[in-house]
Amino acid sequence: MNILETKNLHKVYDETSVPVYAVNGIDLTIKKGEFTAIVGPSGSGKTTLLNMIGGLDRPTKGEIIVNNVKLNDLSSRKLTDFRLKNIGFVFQAYNLIPVLTAKENVEFIMQLQKRPKKERDKRTISLLEAVGLGDRVNSRPAKMSGGQQQRVAVTRAIASKPQFVLADEPTANLDSKSTENLLEIMEELNRKEQITFIFSTHDQRVVKKARRVITVDDGKIVKDETRDPEKD
Amino acid sequence: MNTYIKLAWRNLWRNKRRTMITTASIVFSVFFASLMRSVQEGSYDSMIDNMVKFYSGYLQVQDTAYWEEKTLENTIEYDSSLTQKISQINDVLLVTSRLESFALSAFKENSKPVFVMGISPGKEDRIIKLSEKTKKGKFLSEKDDGALIAEGLSRFLKINVGDTLVMISQGYHGVSAAGKFAVRGIFKHPNPEFNNNMVFLSLAKAQEFYSAYGRYTSELVMVEDHYEVDHVERAVENLLPPDKRVMTWEEMSPEMASMIEGDRAGGIVMLWILYLVIGFGIFGTVLMMVNERKREFGVISAVGMRKYKINVMLFAEIFMLGILGAIMGLILTTPVVWYFYENPLPLPQEMAEAMAEYGVEPFMYVSIRAELFIRQAVTVFVLSGIVAIIIMFNMARMDMVKALRG
Repeated sequence: MNILETKNLHKVYDETSVPVYAVNGIDLTIKKGEFTAIVGPSGSGKTTLLNMIGGLDRPTKGEIIVNNVKLNDLSSRKLTDFRLKNIGFVFQAYNLIPVLTAKENVEFIMQLQKRPKKERDKRTISLLEAVGLGDRVNSRPAKMSGGQQQRVAVTRAIASKPQFVLADEPTANLDSKSTENLLEIMEELNRKEQITFIFSTHDQRVVKKARRVITVDDGKIVKDETRDPEKD
Repeated sequence: MNTYIKLAWRNLWRNKRRTMITTASIVFSVFFASLMRSVQEGSYDSMIDNMVKFYSGYLQVQDTAYWEEKTLENTIEYDSSLTQKISQINDVLLVTSRLESFALSAFKENSKPVFVMGISPGKEDRIIKLSEKTKKGKFLSEKDDGALIAEGLSRFLKINVGDTLVMISQGYHGVSAAGKFAVRGIFKHPNPEFNNNMVFLSLAKAQEFYSAYGRYTSELVMVEDHYEVDHVERAVENLLPPDKRVMTWEEMSPEMASMIEGDRAGGIVMLWILYLVIGFGIFGTVLMMVNERKREFGVISAVGMRKYKINVMLFAEIFMLGILGAIMGLILTTPVVWYFYENPLPLPQEMAEAMAEYGVEPFMYVSIRAELFIRQAVTVFVLSGIVAIIIMFNMARMDMVKALRG
């Protein structure tokens, strides 16, 4: 079942002076439960593509369809609501809200979704325990390591039960051990809860774990391979 | 809503030092603005109070033609029911009648034109405090047939307590007025003009002298303070027949009223300069607060928080900053103003002497009207609101992708 589809997707910056074709006609389909890495050199258009499929940026041309909803047609407000209900984000710099504790950060999106407090509390605690942060629920980000913060960020991303999680260079700021740990957590969530993950990454450790690797260059898909990481 | 308040409060204390410096700037601004206005209004209150007690009272009921042509022909007939009704108006302290005119006074070979005022001594004393100003002899009694004369006049006529003052004038309807009055006392008035020309008689004796039985030139209405004048004026106006009018102290002393207005306007200009400085201070802090958190706003918008909610959170932060400063400013102001209210600051010697000459108490008074202080706090609060609106417009234009890049 396709949960994401892009058709002839373009993103052109500075159309009036010297146009830069960040994304140049990408057709892409993502199925539920995929664990996909988008790779490519810097400036190849990975992040722009991720921003557009995440509804953060609008394409210059082409269509983005998530769960049968055409994102191009949504107003900014509806797009915000759509992101809230359907898409989880993990950022390179973790980007947790510094004044909230780990629990409050995870709870935050569910609060925006107006989920009942009981449900929020239960899900937050169980997710934080699942990622090994049961003892850090009341810690603020500044008191946690980078790996712990990124685990909270992943928990925040999946807490809202999204259609898919977009992770932009999630391991870029982490050491090997934290990266390994984070990838295991995401793999497990993918396997057990069928959460779809789409990464944009340079990190070979992430690429090795991915079951589908899409290589982007000059705003185009140059390679799209499906593989079995167990065998590789 | 609790989440926004919690977030706003915690965000406010993210950079404690900056928040404390901004709060302190608001606190001191509210403090100085309040103190400045308090001293300003306190001095006006004192000036008005002194002026009113000098002569005019807060309100006067007169014949409609009297103010333009001050003759006995424009006097009004005593109407006890009207006086009674005016007395019953809320905030009216007392109502008393006066009969004022001129005469030529003489003692032995000396003579001088004088201003004669027939008064009800007991009531009048509560307004112009004549008994306190009486330096020789005694103050008039209600049915007294003697006179109380000014010190300057007594010097000029070389007359003393116990001597007889002769006065001639033109009475009501042009009749001749002539009378002899024993000098009961001599008073010293701070106003030189009054001090050289003034003679007080009891109201009954003055009416007899001018053959204006049962008539008077004005009825003085005293109220608690000048803040009550407006509503009492309206109430009195509603009671008056068409041939009578009510005049306020501002109408009777327009120079004083315009001097106060001019001075107040100057003070308010200074105040707005102060507010402008505070406004830019708050704006600078908040702008810094927002700019350094652009990525954070980008993130929370990306994960699904609507911009208006981000604005609510920001507004709450700025609101808290403003209200915190305003409340602390009021807390700091209250004891200081109260202290100076209870212990007015003496004026420097030269100024004090000049004031005393005019019978004005030589102290710097402060006003403790709550409205003055609340207004400063509300103004700072409104300034915070304006800053919040500007920031909110800024936020509405935020480019999320750029914000996410930081």
